[in-house]
Amino acid sequence: MSALRIHGIVLSGVGGQGVLSLAQIVLEALRRSGFHALQSEIHGMSQRGGSVQAQVCFAEVPLTSPILDEGSADLLIALEPLEALRHVAMLRPDGHLVASEEPSADMAGYPPLEDIYRALKAVRGACLLDTEDLARRLRHPQAGGMALLGMASRHLPVPEAVWQAVITERFAAKGERVITKNLEAFAAGQGLVPARAEA
Amino acid sequence: MAQSTLALGVEAVGCAGFDAGIKGAFGYPGTPSTEGFECVEALIHAAADGRVAQWAANEKVAYDLALGVSFAGFRTLVTMKHVGLNVALDAYANSALTGVHGGLVLLVADDPGMHSSQNEQDSRSLASFAWLPCLEPSTVQECYDFTLRAFDLSEALQVPVMVRLVTRLAHCRAPLDRREALAPTGLGPVPAAQAQDWVLIPSNARRRYEDLLAKQPRLLAALADLNRSVPGPSRRGVALAGMGRAYFHQLALEHPELRDLPRLELAAQPVDPDLEAAFLATVDEVLVFEEDYPLVETRLGLRARVKVHGRLDGALPRVGELSPRLLKAALGLAPSMGTPAELDLPVRAPRFCDGCGHVDAFEALQEALGNLGATAQARVFGDIGCYTLAAQEPLSALHAVVEMGASISMAVGAALAGLHPAVAVIGDSTFGHSGLPALLTAMDAGADVTILILDNRVVGMTGQQPSQALDQVERMVLGMGIPEASLQVLTPLPRHHEANVKAVAAALQQPGPSVLVFRRECIQSLRRGVLREHDRNEKAERASACCTLEVQP
Repeated sequence: MSALRIHGIVLSGVGGQGVLSLAQIVLEALRRSGFHALQSEIHGMSQRGGSVQAQVCFAEVPLTSPILDEGSADLLIALEPLEALRHVAMLRPDGHLVASEEPSADMAGYPPLEDIYRALKAVRGACLLDTEDLARRLRHPQAGGMALLGMASRHLPVPEAVWQAVITERFAAKGERVITKNLEAFAAGQGLVPARAEA
Repeated sequence: MAQSTLALGVEAVGCAGFDAGIKGAFGYPGTPSTEGFECVEALIHAAADGRVAQWAANEKVAYDLALGVSFAGFRTLVTMKHVGLNVALDAYANSALTGVHGGLVLLVADDPGMHSSQNEQDSRSLASFAWLPCLEPSTVQECYDFTLRAFDLSEALQVPVMVRLVTRLAHCRAPLDRREALAPTGLGPVPAAQAQDWVLIPSNARRRYEDLLAKQPRLLAALADLNRSVPGPSRRGVALAGMGRAYFHQLALEHPELRDLPRLELAAQPVDPDLEAAFLATVDEVLVFEEDYPLVETRLGLRARVKVHGRLDGALPRVGELSPRLLKAALGLAPSMGTPAELDLPVRAPRFCDGCGHVDAFEALQEALGNLGATAQARVFGDIGCYTLAAQEPLSALHAVVEMGASISMAVGAALAGLHPAVAVIGDSTFGHSGLPALLTAMDAGADVTILILDNRVVGMTGQQPSQALDQVERMVLGMGIPEASLQVLTPLPRHHEANVKAVAAALQQPGPSVLVFRRECIQSLRRGVLREHDRNEKAERASACCTLEVQP
């Protein structure tokens, strides 16, 4: 019997940025696209402004382990640049990194931004997004996460209609305007990919 | 009516409790167990059919509430984290002797790796300590299926049944298929003829303990299908329990050669010794993958012929949680490697939310101690909650944090031993959990302690559940015998800083116990409007109470 390929996604950021919420959208989208998927998250202490990460595994057969090994993730989506670097070792050599450039630097010993950007650009397949600028242009302060997901979506086997449906349902309780704003941010992220992708 | 939804492992247990037809769910919040109760609470509220979901003041109270429901003849679910079971241990261990009437299932969520806890104790030890069965699921679907099974077992064997999860499973989100929900059916209360079984005076307790021990073979038989031995051509085997099972099965998808290993798969304890012996007879060595304590490993290691590897011989680390990576290393599979960043990364520790009132309270305390020249000799005893974050920089304000409620009793003990100033800092919910009896003793002992109750009106850390002490803190303090002159209520806001410093300094210098209540709602719950309705109702009630008074002659 041949070995099976298990796909992995790591999502990272700072407590309060919405990492877990984004991970749930990814999980639901993959599930509706016909995959067996599992998500791992950690609640509690870390949600008070500490480093937060979630992982999603998916495959064509049922899975049982919600956590990934180092060097086995196909995709890392990071809502903060330092929190992107913290998890780059999770990526496979042919993995992809989609990260925000916007620092959350309210902590001791935050490294100089240029060092962080240099280290991020050294990651093969890195795609960086100025989420602060994008949020301003879209007049939507929380646009960053959905835009990063939009950017990352080209690496995920999820049909466009599924993304639209999952995002719409996710924000349904918050009204039409919030749904539109989030779909807009997602679409903006999708559109940005070719221009910013690096070799 | 099968319906597939996404659920966390703990939520799957909550769903199963509801679908098993429980009459009441109880618990005390604690990561990673909290969402289990919240899930069943939401289902019970939506059903609006007379069932009860009630947070309790602490885990012991929660367990006793559940035991009461069982006595009354209904099924019941009680939830807590691993260290919460220490608080409920008196109730849990003795309920093994009373036995149950309606099925009683205890969800305990362990936290190996201590993601959000003060230790990584293994609740399976406490189940065997109490001579009670413990089911250990390894997937979200098993969390559900095993919980339903636990209710049947509990009623068939007339014992409480523990369902033990660990953080990774508790917070694993995956598809869940539910069965049709049963409505609660009551058996009626324990019949008068059997009431002596529940009265644990020594003469009855001796009899009930013998009954419990005599029940053990039936217990093994009832659990037998949950544990199994799977043969394989290799003389090297694996013993798998909990997440060890989950991680191994996934590795075997990627590494088909692992399917040659004979496996002992354990999902329930106690385990039939004959099953273990038969498995061991087929192998020369065995690797044990279980989460937390080396319990299976120790048991198998007692049989001398077979070499047993695991946490005790260094094949796996002695502490911390299992991971697929650790399994791979122990199994001799090549590790997969990533490329870490070429930069030293500082740790991003959790911290107080911007604008949190706890920070203002600690700043007032520290300045008051400084003004009295007492910073060096003062010791501040902290407690469990968001305010534990004050132990780290920049505040570095706490000298001891042990377990729920320890702040007040440790400060009293230290004060009685001559330490001054001895300060306790405790949250409102923790005060209701186990600070109250400590305050009673503080008053009785007349100890020179200063007690800060940081009242943010909710259980902040676990997701802002309303505190049981909501709006009651001053009355509780006065009720313990603290004189009104020794109680002050302060508002932890920067604009009140000077006044707060003065109040703390005065309390520090006052002989006997004094209490300072720093009250300002948690900014997270304020943002989410958790108490909005409560406060609106309170206000309306006060207004109508005034009107009533006005029309009195």
